[in-house]
Amino acid sequence: MMSEKFGGIVLNVAFRLLVPFTIVYGVYILCLGEFSPGGGFQAGALLSVGVVLARLVLGFDTKFNILGETSLILAGVGTFLYAFTGWLTLFGGAKFFLDYNFMPIKMEPVHEMHALGIFIIEIGVAICVMMTIINLLEAIVKRGEEPDGDSK
Amino acid sequence: MQIYILEAILLVFLICITSAVIFCKDILSAAIIYCAFSFCAVLLYLMMGSPDVAFTEAVIGTVSTIFFVTCLRKIDRWCE
Repeated sequence: MMSEKFGGIVLNVAFRLLVPFTIVYGVYILCLGEFSPGGGFQAGALLSVGVVLARLVLGFDTKFNILGETSLILAGVGTFLYAFTGWLTLFGGAKFFLDYNFMPIKMEPVHEMHALGIFIIEIGVAICVMMTIINLLEAIVKRGEEPDGDSK
Repeated sequence: MQIYILEAILLVFLICITSAVIFCKDILSAAIIYCAFSFCAVLLYLMMGSPDVAFTEAVIGTVSTIFFVTCLRKIDRWCE
């Protein structure tokens, strides 16, 4: 069902309309997370919904398909981005993890620095959540396609 | 006053949907009805004034429905 191309003209047109808006809305939620409802987790889930929809309709041939190994590596990269920001502040002389006053980049209003730090860790969280959901789908599909006797 | 009536109606809906999911023999139908549970929960969270949680619930409800239906390829659709 999910490794080859699926669906007719209705699914293709719906895919072409839905997926770009979903991904753009995910980026919007990520960038405006401080002022509006939303944030890193929701943005990552929305971006992953875009990729999962493409995977469901077009199968393996889709342009933005992300395979299992790549998604695992990128999930680690997102977690590293989060932890690295915290380590930077710790090495700068902060008393606790993610104390944005001690970021290595100095900006004159302090809340600008806070906003930059929060944005960086939200990008990390978004990448980690997106890649984890894609990896879960990949694991379920792979488990379903194992050859055995009574598979449908 | 009306907001309490609406909340009560939504809570009764939640109980009915949960009973339907428990007692449904068709697992595909149960997965789809669970999507309705997620929608009612989204409306309740919005009424209680937490759009953040409502947004998360909407997105994760969609993704979990996709996961449930994908899992159905391996197991049988009907349970006895």
